[in-house]
Amino acid sequence: MTLARAGKLAFAALVVAALVVGAALLFPTAVPNDLVLPDIDVGATFGDDLVDDARSYERFLYADWLLSQIALLGTLWLYSRRGTAFMRESAAGPIGTGMLLGMLGLGIVWLVLLPFRVAAHWWQREHDLSELDYLSWIFGDWTILGAQFFSICLALLVVMGLARRLGERWWLPGAAVFVGVAALFVFVAPYLDYTTKPLRDGALLSAASRYERELGLSDIPIRVEEVSEDTEQANAYAYGIGPSRRVVLWDTILDNPFSRDQSEVVLAHELAHHSQTHLPEGIAWFALFAVPGAWVLMRVTRKRGGMGAPEAVPLALLTVAVLQLALAPAANLVSRRMEAEADWKALQVTNDPAALEELMVGLSDTSLGDPSPPGWAQLMLGTHPALADRVAMARAWAEREEGPGP
Amino acid sequence: MIDENAAVSELAESPIRLVVLDDDLGRNRLTVFLRVLLAIPHLVWLSLWGIAVSVAAFVLWLAVLIEGRAPRNVHDFVAAYVRYATHVGAYVFLAANPFPGFRGSSGYPVDVEIDPPARQSRWSGLFRLLLAVPAMLVAAWLGAGLAWAPLGGWFVFLVALAGGGVAGTAAFLVWFAALVRGRAPRGLRDLIAYALGYSAQASGYALLLTGQYPSSDPVYAEPYAELPEHPVRVVVGDETRRARLTVLFRALLAIPHLVWLTLWGIAVFFAALAAWLSALVAGRVPRPLHRFLSAYLRYSLHVYAFVTLVGRRFPGFTGRAGSHGIELELPEPERQRRWTVLLRLLLAIPALFVANVLGNMVFVVAFLGWWYALVRGRMPEGLRNLGVACLRYNAQTYAYLLLVTGEYPYAAPVLRGRPEPEAPPLPLLLYTR
Repeated sequence: MTLARAGKLAFAALVVAALVVGAALLFPTAVPNDLVLPDIDVGATFGDDLVDDARSYERFLYADWLLSQIALLGTLWLYSRRGTAFMRESAAGPIGTGMLLGMLGLGIVWLVLLPFRVAAHWWQREHDLSELDYLSWIFGDWTILGAQFFSICLALLVVMGLARRLGERWWLPGAAVFVGVAALFVFVAPYLDYTTKPLRDGALLSAASRYERELGLSDIPIRVEEVSEDTEQANAYAYGIGPSRRVVLWDTILDNPFSRDQSEVVLAHELAHHSQTHLPEGIAWFALFAVPGAWVLMRVTRKRGGMGAPEAVPLALLTVAVLQLALAPAANLVSRRMEAEADWKALQVTNDPAALEELMVGLSDTSLGDPSPPGWAQLMLGTHPALADRVAMARAWAEREEGPGP
Repeated sequence: MIDENAAVSELAESPIRLVVLDDDLGRNRLTVFLRVLLAIPHLVWLSLWGIAVSVAAFVLWLAVLIEGRAPRNVHDFVAAYVRYATHVGAYVFLAANPFPGFRGSSGYPVDVEIDPPARQSRWSGLFRLLLAVPAMLVAAWLGAGLAWAPLGGWFVFLVALAGGGVAGTAAFLVWFAALVRGRAPRGLRDLIAYALGYSAQASGYALLLTGQYPSSDPVYAEPYAELPEHPVRVVVGDETRRARLTVLFRALLAIPHLVWLTLWGIAVFFAALAAWLSALVAGRVPRPLHRFLSAYLRYSLHVYAFVTLVGRRFPGFTGRAGSHGIELELPEPERQRRWTVLLRLLLAIPALFVANVLGNMVFVVAFLGWWYALVRGRMPEGLRNLGVACLRYNAQTYAYLLLVTGEYPYAAPVLRGRPEPEAPPLPLLLYTR
């Protein structure tokens, strides 16, 4: 074994060890490891009719998603073989041509997936879950596509620039740049928000102050996003890091059918994301995925001249899509653990498991969410624990706090 | 490969041709001052004639549907009307000086020749008004649509007068120039003549005088082989084929370029300021600044050519000379008169007016070209060439403004001269300005 090869192996071992240690440090949550979730009678808890409606509704979306993934991979496979023909359409240098190929790849994917997204939107409208007309919807979709085009140009500028300068060693600094950009984006995103308004509800604000004290937070701005004209679905989210931390509630969560107690549980849940530093942890998890992902990308594109060559871009798009799909179960598992931890902390500060349980029923009702989706769907798509599991956690928490019932 | 400033080797005949019989640019100041008022009787007569033409056009439509050909007498009646509208337009927009006659007889300094009736496709006749919509849109933006009176052309005329169209804006500038100097600037006169020529083609097509679709290629409007030299030239080395996918996403594909162009533009502002100060002191722009500003101008042309489908290929990000199919040739740093440098911003104002309307025009070109290229996979050559002419004027204007040249922009949309009989056959299609 040569010295160089030994050095490479040692470096690889070091990277793998760092990834493993990182994952081990990030994996634990505040949810007790010995917590056993009780069995839930889904029909009795959510109502048989609602469960039937939700399952019927979700079945269509699952089929739509499955077909769309097949179309996506098929399209990108074809593009990875034929996409280089579009190099004729570029008068730019290698990086500019790579950008063109990257944008065209996204454009083709957008076109191919459009029927599936239209079908999903139609299905939502059929079930009164969206009131957004098709024109506004497609305009919004087009705007998002524009942002994606710009993002892929920046990403390719970084990757191809590094690859042309560093050769095959681009993957480690490349991954670091992406993690830095992700952190910057998470930090800056709240300052770019112009669609939300401050929460004016005094009672809810005082509850927020109480929860913040208990969670060890201070002065997290609570904002409201008005979506009720477009949808009846309810949602909330936490974003930002450090001084840019925010919580945003959709106005639908502040209105019927959700009670004040349920809104407070949502608020506590989102604040818990901040108290448990889920957003910085999310960036750290992203780093754990990005480093091996970049390495795989480097290896796969090697036969096309590496990421410094525009010919590699169509193949890189396929690789990224496959990696995303392959890593979805792991990414979703991490996300579900964070959401479960936020539920747990919310239960601790609100002390109201009944409200959490009713909230889950309300969410299922307004979003037609299947309380206990099939295992494969939860594996591939479940960023949150199943609604039935969240109800089970509320009951488990109650049992721990109050002791077993009579 | 297409170059500038040489005659085109061959020129297809259009059934409706602009003819500028008299190259006299002299203008009587009094009639210029009162031009719109003097034109009132013509405008009234044009309206009345337009009503009769709308009936005649219906007869032509039926004749084309039934026999595939227009009856000669009705054709001549409508053709005289189109000619007359061109004369009136030329008079109102100051492209010509003499008060026109009321019969639309040939012989006016800015005139159109219209071929006798020829066989037309019944299908295209049936849907003529619908098919004419894109041409009407171009004519409306050119703002010289007096012949459209039977088809709502008064609106177009009012827009043109209000400065919303190319001809109206050019006429507004000619009015001032002619009042001061007693002459119309030739470039602006040619621009108005071009607009009138296209409008005559478009109205002739809509009114069933011909079945040949109007071409916006400036070559059909240019009766002169000799054109003044200008140091800022556009060289077209591009084909008209377009990949449909890049057409569909054209605006989105341009996003990184538009961002980069904006960022670069900020640096250019300060560079131009430095260039201005240097030119005031030294009488010329230092070479590094000149190179920086030139690269920006070239890059702008590449980007706008790409966005508006005038150019085929995705441009590079550096504005490197010779890197794109629509190329800008710029002069080396040259000595410039200090007083024109001092007043450059002020002097550029008229050109900026024209650049603005031609900039709008090129987006009409892009809109129409987008649909066409999406369906046919290529850009119509006439539309592409109109786009090139608009972009070239913009490049000349900003080259003047940014002190890359001291030569004032030249407004005539002409890209290539008419054939010169003694010229040997050219192996390449050459463009001239």
